[in-house]
Amino acid sequence: MLTLASSVIANETSLVVAIHVSAGVETLTRDQVINIFLGRFRQLPNGHLAIPIDQDSDHPIRAEFYRRLVGKNPAEIHAYWARLIFSGKTTPPREAESEEQIIQWLMTEPGAIGYLPADRLREPLKAVFTLDP
Amino acid sequence: MTVTFRRDFQALCLFCLILGQPIQGHAGKPAFSLHGFGTLGLARSTDDSAEFVRDLSQRNGLTEAWSFETDSVLGLQANLHFNPEFEGVVQAASHYNPHGDFKPELTWAFLSYAPSPAVTLRAGRLGNEFYMLADSRLVGYSYVTVRPPVDYFGTLPFDYFDGLDLAITRPLAGGLFKAKAYAGLSREQSPWAELQFNMSGSLLAGAYLDFIKGPWQFRLGHANLQFDRDLPVEDFYDALPPNTADELRVADKSTSFTAFGAVYDSGPLQTQFMLSRTLSHHGVFQDAWAGYLILSYRMHALTPFVGLSAAKSSPKDLDHPIPGYTDVFQAEFYNDQRTLFLGTRWDFMENFCIKAQMDIVRGKPESRFLYRWENLEDWDGSMTVLSVTLDFIF
Repeated sequence: MLTLASSVIANETSLVVAIHVSAGVETLTRDQVINIFLGRFRQLPNGHLAIPIDQDSDHPIRAEFYRRLVGKNPAEIHAYWARLIFSGKTTPPREAESEEQIIQWLMTEPGAIGYLPADRLREPLKAVFTLDP
Repeated sequence: MTVTFRRDFQALCLFCLILGQPIQGHAGKPAFSLHGFGTLGLARSTDDSAEFVRDLSQRNGLTEAWSFETDSVLGLQANLHFNPEFEGVVQAASHYNPHGDFKPELTWAFLSYAPSPAVTLRAGRLGNEFYMLADSRLVGYSYVTVRPPVDYFGTLPFDYFDGLDLAITRPLAGGLFKAKAYAGLSREQSPWAELQFNMSGSLLAGAYLDFIKGPWQFRLGHANLQFDRDLPVEDFYDALPPNTADELRVADKSTSFTAFGAVYDSGPLQTQFMLSRTLSHHGVFQDAWAGYLILSYRMHALTPFVGLSAAKSSPKDLDHPIPGYTDVFQAEFYNDQRTLFLGTRWDFMENFCIKAQMDIVRGKPESRFLYRWENLEDWDGSMTVLSVTLDFIF
């Protein structure tokens, strides 16, 4: 039931890429978000290190985020990371166990950047990119 | 061979089962992680007059009997994050090797230092990046086809080298620009009939430029390989006049690889195009063109694909040839063939996929470089290869 409810939220709600206001980032482009979350270039526009955070792998919002961002399903994302992990290039985003943990990391760790349903955004976090349904 | 395969492969399987799931540090911060990949493959050809190999590191190839050897692999990798700047990676893999067994070998073992997101320096045992995607060839789960196109990647028996690489990444023109340089020594061998061509000590050096923008990725690369040793045919060299033998020696001489790659990856559509030019400063390995194009399109859990690859070489003109001897020797390294391959990948459950593929190879009867144990009376340059694999990561 919870999974079904989460799926509905994932499908119908805007997702926002969020970061702490103190990071000094106003907005990100789609390519910049892709670069950070797919491990191509993890640097914020102000030059600071970006630390991407994924939702739990079972959370439907995670699949929805990558579907909206790059049009890929979870198997394709796993295949992508298999290539990078096993050629020693980079590692996937840190994985949070819950939405609350993502929010906690975003609030406490410099450079942490994650994605949330738009209605879960709270101060002092700000949306720097939006993925509409 | 089968007994050795079972022993080595089962030992590594058991090791993986004991280790189980990736190990992570507390509070979700991975200090140490363990991952693996594998392929259980079955393949056969329709022609016993030459044996099809995945690449020139394989001692024997496919016949008309179904075989596990060609594509099966099991790998295990440990990553240790010392801090955000330093990381250590060790990877061992068991796959069919130049000695005809599955003895595991160290395929990666390096320390990396990334003082910023823009700069990464790695030192140790590193994967070969002569061609785009060449450093992940063993990880079948990471690509759609059963194996990388043999016409293109098959002539590369080098999986790794001991050395260092330096990568610099910068935003440029709305995209990402990456430059990488690497150098090191090969530690591998390539079987040649009953003999082994020991490439250990050969110097590899190269560089490439990447540009990534939206769904596009382009790469232009160049690498040079300077051999440390000659082919293991000293009796043949001794029988030739010295100036002729010198032209057919490879020690301290080089072969260069220049390659262009373009990938378009948008949603369910993936395309890859690669083209390479190989040039040698000796009379053995031939100057060659090779290329391939793959198109794939995901439909739910199925990703059908079709591709075309080709390779064509030409022997060097020797200044001091001995007709009937040097031309016969050089013919061992000739290559002129095309392959149409098609199949599908089925992602039937998380971290597992099944692939089925048919390769239709058409070449000249003289095209022999990419095969083992050719029967020259019967070999006509053409065969069909049927393959099915189970690929997984953990």
